[in-house]
Amino acid sequence: MAKAAIADRSVKEFEEKQEWWWAAEKKRSSRLDYLRKAIWKKGAIGGLYAPGVKTDLERAVLQTQKARELEFSPDPYVIKFAKMLAHVLDNKSIFITDHAQLVGYTGSLPHTIAWDPSCASILNEEVYNDPTAIPDPAEKSQQIIRDVNNYWIGKSDLDKMMPIFDMEDLMKMLSGSIGWGVPLARGGYSSKDYEYIMTGKRAFQAIIDELSQKIDEADEQTHAPGATPDTTRMYDKINNWEAMKITLEAGIRIAKRYARLAGIMAEHFEEDTIRREELLKIAETCERVPAYPPRTLQESLQYDIFIQMMSRTEAIEGAWPSRPDYYHGPYYNKDVNIDKSLTKEEAIDLLGEFLIRAAEVCQFKPKWSREGLQGIDGTWVWTIGGVDKDGRDACNDMTIALMQAARLVRVANPTFGFRWHPKVKDEVMREIFECLRQGLGYPNLRHDPILIANTMHWYGHPIEEARLWCNQACLSPCPPTKHGFQPMRMANATANCAKIIEYVMTNGYDPVVNMQVGAETGDVTSFKNFEEFFEAWEKQMKTIFSILVRAVNRARTLAPNLTPRPYLSALSERSIESGMDTLTPSLERGNAWITAFTWVENIDSLAAVKKLVFEDKKYTMAELKNAIDKNWEGYEQMRLDFVRNAPKWGNDDNYVDDIMVRCLKAAAKFSKELKCPSGNNWPILPENVSGNIHYANIVGALPNGRRLGDALYDGGISPGPGLDKKGPTAVLKSCGKINHITDGRAFLLNQRLSPSQLAGEKGYQLWKAYMRTWADLELDHIQFNVVDDSTLRAAQKDPEKYQEVIVRVAGYSAHFVDISRKTQDNIIQRTVQGLG
Amino acid sequence: MTTCENCKRFFPLEDNPEKGDCVQRVVDPRQAYYKSKPVNAGDDAVSCSSFQKK
Ligand code: SF4
Repeated sequence: MAKAAIADRSVKEFEEKQEWWWAAEKKRSSRLDYLRKAIWKKGAIGGLYAPGVKTDLERAVLQTQKARELEFSPDPYVIKFAKMLAHVLDNKSIFITDHAQLVGYTGSLPHTIAWDPSCASILNEEVYNDPTAIPDPAEKSQQIIRDVNNYWIGKSDLDKMMPIFDMEDLMKMLSGSIGWGVPLARGGYSSKDYEYIMTGKRAFQAIIDELSQKIDEADEQTHAPGATPDTTRMYDKINNWEAMKITLEAGIRIAKRYARLAGIMAEHFEEDTIRREELLKIAETCERVPAYPPRTLQESLQYDIFIQMMSRTEAIEGAWPSRPDYYHGPYYNKDVNIDKSLTKEEAIDLLGEFLIRAAEVCQFKPKWSREGLQGIDGTWVWTIGGVDKDGRDACNDMTIALMQAARLVRVANPTFGFRWHPKVKDEVMREIFECLRQGLGYPNLRHDPILIANTMHWYGHPIEEARLWCNQACLSPCPPTKHGFQPMRMANATANCAKIIEYVMTNGYDPVVNMQVGAETGDVTSFKNFEEFFEAWEKQMKTIFSILVRAVNRARTLAPNLTPRPYLSALSERSIESGMDTLTPSLERGNAWITAFTWVENIDSLAAVKKLVFEDKKYTMAELKNAIDKNWEGYEQMRLDFVRNAPKWGNDDNYVDDIMVRCLKAAAKFSKELKCPSGNNWPILPENVSGNIHYANIVGALPNGRRLGDALYDGGISPGPGLDKKGPTAVLKSCGKINHITDGRAFLLNQRLSPSQLAGEKGYQLWKAYMRTWADLELDHIQFNVVDDSTLRAAQKDPEKYQEVIVRVAGYSAHFVDISRKTQDNIIQRTVQGLG
Repeated sequence: MTTCENCKRFFPLEDNPEKGDCVQRVVDPRQAYYKSKPVNAGDDAVSCSSFQKK
């Protein structure tokens, strides 16, 4: 919309028309407005990076330069790796944006996407082959990329690991049919030991001092009279501690570089006295953190940004486990309520900028990842609300302020997951409602008592730790504690579950990738009853899960030596104490899970087969197999029968709901037979991100009436779009038949509500009553889209005008215009539930 | 030889003037910012298109 048109209309006018994005633009401070508009959109659109966004070659060159220099040095790999990281941090370009109060970015310049060439040659090839993101002049850049890529062939993490993997499993996984991603310790979702580093008790310098002491003591021990296996192990520990120290020292140095730049800007360039003061404040802040614990909200937020920036220099992190109100809340309270050194508006400016700093983060990702996470770089689902370790309500003023800041900056990433519990105050619920009503699609709501019990059930995390959980990625809770935190969750433990039912029909043969991926469960036409059919389903389920889990287990076991993370280790109490890399499985309690993409297709398909083939005998299995083999072509009437006249999940119909529960219980039982390298369980977690679109051309025709190429359901335990015909309570009741503690890790549920119905106090009360039912039925998750069809259709017609409309895709939010047409249509097709 | 030391954009480190930062103002299509990159005082500036004589 033209500037003048925005200026001419009042906030009230925009709000009445539910054009929340323009209202936000008018309401936010000029600083936030500038910084929000300064963001370079990094989320891929249709799998491609946006015009103007370029791959950052600087870091790749720096890292390769150092790797070459160290190639023949006698240093052990962990030290070499730490030195490479330090070299990047010491020499990369840094910048400070006008009006910014917080600094730090993963790339070298605002429009760049960070590229880590040491992770995988297959990723490096994608960098080379993605002409849209290659910086100008292209020829020169391609030469640089070729040089970098040639160096890392055979030396990158994945290249080193591939030859020692089980080749058959690896090929099945890399076929792209059943899994999503590769088993890499430096390419997944990494939590942190926030209880160690974010509670104000210590920061980098104190840890460095402790490491120095450990090294001195170990050195003394190894040179004292005597020799034991402990002495031998001590050499490795010394190396690990040395490497940790190198990374922390580099972390302090890069912060000081920011301090220096802010100082130079203040002294030599800035004429505005207020801005000069701000720059001096930035300088002071970066001198303080991360070396020493923060004292103020600004220092606390800056400390967090540095920790994340460095972690994302060490590894490709696809998620952002965080609990900002819990760890920064005390500083907010001190500055705003006690010392009154910040007004609430100033604090909200800082929080809005904090969200913006996270929103702009991006690391080069392969195309399959960009397609599965359309419009965003990764799932930054920050956890807010919940309880403290003693079970008391942990919501604070910053919980509210964060939601208010989110409504002003309206970024699609990060989003929030709110830990609901019975003691949450009404004023907090109203803030959540306001975010949803204003179409943000977040916070999603998580049932805290259920998830705490679930966390204890599956992994045995003690209650005091379980209560501290934060989202590991989209949905999976993980305690950010010494032995609880998960240093890397590998994304390839993500199963494309629609293949389970597909393989029952094909005897495990995958017609799309032309290979035997699943188990040979026999000719489906020979099955005499539903029990035989279900037995085959169970075997396919176990086969697929096992292939993925075996690969992750292997990678996790190899990781501490082959692909260590000295920086993440330096932030982990367990590594400081033990001298072992934080990826060492024996140091972790275990918090593994299998993300179950495209799960509900199994349930509706099983119900259709049971009803129409085995019970009503309307069709023979041979007829069904034939129709499916032909992708239903020539069998449209029959297909519609399977779509319309078989029971569908989400309608409070026990026929199909019992099948859902049976499948989940079968998976849950098997989850306890699958063990991670820490010896703990592998429960499943049904959810999809935008995998339902990514897999549309990979999953063949299914017995629920779906054809190859049709979008899959939007995921988790959400009913198929438009197939939940009995209203919102029936959906909740179906979902309530699942035991959300013991049947799986977590269960995503998408719901669409009508914005007009949510207007005013009446709307709030309706939603609150609906949420009471949700809580009483003990569902662990729910998320809402509150945008009407007319707005979404208008946005399809005139995307320029609706750039800022946000939708909840699955485990994440995105700007509607940044997702593919197919995903857009899929969201529009979801049933708009009427409440009351 | 012209080196970074002769350039307006070069800011030497106080404790080691042989090293310093090249600080430049950038205005891109979305935002304006100052960027900084470590350089050596003696680095060749002849081929640097951003060189500005002190
Ligand atoms: S602009 Fe060029 S010559 Fe000047 S300091 Fe920077 S790199 Fe050196």
